[in-house]
Amino acid sequence: MKSLLATLALSTALTLPGLASARPVTLTTTLSNYGGDGAYLALYVTDASGAYAGSLWMAGGKSKYYEHLSDWYRATGGDPAQINGITGASVGAGRTLEITLDLADALFDAGYTLHIDAAVEDMRDSPNEVAIPLTTDGVGKPVAGRRYVASFAYDM
Amino acid sequence: MRKTLTAISLIALLPAGVALADDDYEKTARGQSQSRDAVMQLARENGWTVREIEMEDGRYEIEGRDREGRKIEAKLDPVTLRVLKMEHDVEEDDDDYGASTRNPAPAGTVAPPQNGLFGNGAPPKVQVN
Repeated sequence: MKSLLATLALSTALTLPGLASARPVTLTTTLSNYGGDGAYLALYVTDASGAYAGSLWMAGGKSKYYEHLSDWYRATGGDPAQINGITGASVGAGRTLEITLDLADALFDAGYTLHIDAAVEDMRDSPNEVAIPLTTDGVGKPVAGRRYVASFAYDM
Repeated sequence: MRKTLTAISLIALLPAGVALADDDYEKTARGQSQSRDAVMQLARENGWTVREIEMEDGRYEIEGRDREGRKIEAKLDPVTLRVLKMEHDVEEDDDDYGASTRNPAPAGTVAPPQNGLFGNGAPPKVQVN
């Protein structure tokens, strides 16, 4: 039992040191004036292999619409536990969503990618609206989305 | 004398009437919403059983059932209460009427998920400009 605990402690120590430190990061998402209802946005991260690593924010509180955020939904099955405590209101056309959070250092320059899936009622779904590698070089460099996001950038 | 009084009364009444009309117009132009009680009244008149009323994207949204028992979702202009959109047999948010998925807990009500992304476990600070 003791050896099991020791193994667990060692593996945890080896796995998480990078995640222990973090830096404040601001994610700024500005929507275009697409002329529709508020957009649902899922902000999430995939690792170097493309596997879902976790969610950072969900704009839009009704789970019945999450299937329209199709890449996020496919990765999570729409599991609300993935976004409990990090869910807010949908974002209106032309508005800017600004999220400030402590993001684990280990996510930068390690092949992780930040994605945004977007959906608007009665308009076309836009999975992978934004896909931007998390790198120190990419800080402060805005990118445009495909359909609803006019620009997205992360700053430290 | 009678004519004079009548004239004064008319003059006194006219600006008040105009002022009222202006007030009504301004309220409408500002988009002042009607109360939820008014929404409930409309729902009763239409024979709807209301499960939830909320304001979303500047419109009232009603979830419930119509007089035939079908699930409905209606969107109303908050000022005129005109029905802008009506959907039938929509999936409901929770299990009041049967099985379906639950909404996530809003930010600030529980801690963020422990997914390793949030360095110190503190919830994100969010604003919409």
